[in-house]
Amino acid sequence: MIELVCLTKNYNSFSAVRGLDLQVFSGEIFGFIGPNGAGKTTTIKMIAGLLNPSSGRVLISGRDMALEPEEAKQQIGYIPDRPFLYEKLTGSEFLLFCAQLRRLPQALALERVEAWLKRLSLTDWGDELIESYSHGMKQRLTIAAAFLHDPPVIVVDEPMVGLDPAGIRMVKDLLRQKTRAGGAVFMSTHSLEIAEELCDRIGVIHQGGIIALGSALQLRQKAKLEEGHLEEIFLSLTGHDVP
Amino acid sequence: MTPIFLLIRPRLQGLANTIKKASRKERRFRIILILSLGIVFWTVLFAIFYRVLSYFKRVEGFGDVLALKLLSMVLVTFFALLIFSGVITLAAKLYLSRDLPLVHSLPVLPGQVFLARFFESFFDSSWMVALYSLPIFLSYGIIYQAGFSFYLACGAALLLLSLAAVALSAVLMVTAAVILPAQRIRSMAFFLGALILVLLVVTLRLIRPEQLVDPQVFLSLAQYLQSMETPGNVFLPTTWAHDLIRGALFTGRDALLNLGLLVSFSGSLLFCAYRLADRLYFLGYSQAQNAPVSLAIGSRRRRQGLERYFSGVTQALVLKEIRTFRRDQTQWPQLLLIFALVLIYVYNFSVLPLGSIPWRATYLKNFVSFLNIGLAGFVLSALAARFVYPAVSMEGAAFWLIRTAPLEIKTFLKVKFLFYCLPFMILGEALIILTNLILEVTPFVMILSTLTIALLVPGIVSLALGLGAAYPDFRAENPAQATTSMGGLIFMVMSAVFIVLVVVLEAGPAYQVFLADIAGRQLSAVNWLGIVVSFGVVIAISLLATALPLKYGARRLTARLGEG
Repeated sequence: MIELVCLTKNYNSFSAVRGLDLQVFSGEIFGFIGPNGAGKTTTIKMIAGLLNPSSGRVLISGRDMALEPEEAKQQIGYIPDRPFLYEKLTGSEFLLFCAQLRRLPQALALERVEAWLKRLSLTDWGDELIESYSHGMKQRLTIAAAFLHDPPVIVVDEPMVGLDPAGIRMVKDLLRQKTRAGGAVFMSTHSLEIAEELCDRIGVIHQGGIIALGSALQLRQKAKLEEGHLEEIFLSLTGHDVP
Repeated sequence: MTPIFLLIRPRLQGLANTIKKASRKERRFRIILILSLGIVFWTVLFAIFYRVLSYFKRVEGFGDVLALKLLSMVLVTFFALLIFSGVITLAAKLYLSRDLPLVHSLPVLPGQVFLARFFESFFDSSWMVALYSLPIFLSYGIIYQAGFSFYLACGAALLLLSLAAVALSAVLMVTAAVILPAQRIRSMAFFLGALILVLLVVTLRLIRPEQLVDPQVFLSLAQYLQSMETPGNVFLPTTWAHDLIRGALFTGRDALLNLGLLVSFSGSLLFCAYRLADRLYFLGYSQAQNAPVSLAIGSRRRRQGLERYFSGVTQALVLKEIRTFRRDQTQWPQLLLIFALVLIYVYNFSVLPLGSIPWRATYLKNFVSFLNIGLAGFVLSALAARFVYPAVSMEGAAFWLIRTAPLEIKTFLKVKFLFYCLPFMILGEALIILTNLILEVTPFVMILSTLTIALLVPGIVSLALGLGAAYPDFRAENPAQATTSMGGLIFMVMSAVFIVLVVVLEAGPAYQVFLADIAGRQLSAVNWLGIVVSFGVVIAISLLATALPLKYGARRLTARLGEG
């Protein structure tokens, strides 16, 4: 569902992402982990259509992001790490705005807005301006906006930041439901526990390139660690001393 | 190093880094552009004051009185501008800046934070007034052949007046922040500032300063002189500044006394502001962090009438624009300013002494109406610089929503264009039609001016929007300030060129048609050819000015965002 072909992003002489080849399949949650500055957010932004690659291609459900950006974006629900929203709209107006941008018919859009507000426990806040929301509530609203048009692909950057335990549980359930329904999730995270718990496959990115790819078990084998948490595997793979 | 200087240092370092990081070409272009515009404005101001003062100097008996009256008006204007600017700047620096949580977490006293922010605001609010007061004081100095003490007195008066104005703004802000509900500080600051400015402009306009040079309107010379020599209020700092400068310019009498008054007043006001801030500033700041007052909007099912006219993506974008604009209370006082501006604009035409030369009245009225097309164009340009140019930057950090949506940037810009074009068209036509009715112009001039403004408005809006998209600043704390950026300056220059070009191209043929109309004669074939060519070129330029900037802005913005 997501295909990255020799994806590269250069900033002047610095290569943030170097020749990334990767496929994320239907029914899969793919975790993307790596140290700060490894190229995670740059990759996510290229997948979401926020950045042009210097070379290479991004294909979403077979649609090339460079050649058919509108069709490719229609297939994606994107959740950024920081929920910057239009503060002067109410929660329900904001969701309706997102639904209309995604070309949902008016009746269906209104129905979905109500349903998602309810699902994310925001019904009582639906008529309040977003500027009065807490960080966690804004994050929930962003999540609702991403799922609203029922896209086959969810791209999410640090999904749990700012959420309370109930919110974290809710997001985990949503992501699992999405893949059970045949969708694909591409998730960047710093939380190795969440990656280990949720992801079917994990890619470790370091200095712009993938240095390891596979399930947690496969990564453990690659790091030549028979036991241990993903944290130790991660440190070993990225060249840090394992305590 | 004192904590106050330490707190100011990041601002200075940030400024130095910005200058260092800009490429040499970019820096040179920006410096040349800003300097050229500054010099033009500065020179025009100097020329106006020099000419007016030269005229006053030649008026036997009370020329000096007129010059001093003008000085008094200038000082009152400066003082009100400084309070206006001080209120706005202090509100942002004391309560709204993004770095405040960090600053307040540092081991420094609230009074020290206040003083650091006060001095930053003092500089930010007063540098432009200081810069543009120079040609005014210089023209006084040259005309009256003043010595060094005059310039020293002007500098001291301006410095102390600025200090007093910003300290007064600080007292107002710090007190209001404790009394008013949280999260209303920005709105309150804008409202307060706008009100001060509107009052000042309306008052100055209603005084009709043009009568200063028209003794005919007074019943007798004695009454005229008496009104001129009425001293200002002795409790006003502007009166002390005026008397200090007058003393240095003419007699030297009372100069020191007035200097002392100004020093003690601004010093005590600053001390009071500091003491007040020491007690109240943190309280107000802390209050401003509380959750915003709930603004229940009503049932989410409530439909807007607009939904009947637009659908899908266009409806989503238009509704978003209307709602965010309507609910942003910082925009409201600016609407108050526009309203005042329109009133003064129309009032100015109603007091034009065109009827004093009866045999030329018809010609003059229509001539003024024609020039008014350009004038209205400039007013619309200034408003477009404030409202339309920052429209893309105003999307701010939430712009990722548009970028990840299945939507082309050019569609997004087209909707914005429609959203701004309509109110600008209504405003432009209102200015033209109202003034034309006051001037009682011929039907031809009425049609010409309404059609021309209908051609100018889309071009002006498109230029503002296109250049705003080409030079966006999504990180600005106040995107409205983007107007003073390089893109903003380019817009103002290009818009002025566009307006002048249209007016100049229309001038010749319009004159021919007007004369023929008045004399009741037919136009020749050559006349017709000139008219068709001129108006054809005007239409072509207007269409290009509408289409090209939007296209350019969409292309630049798409490329810029894609590069990251």
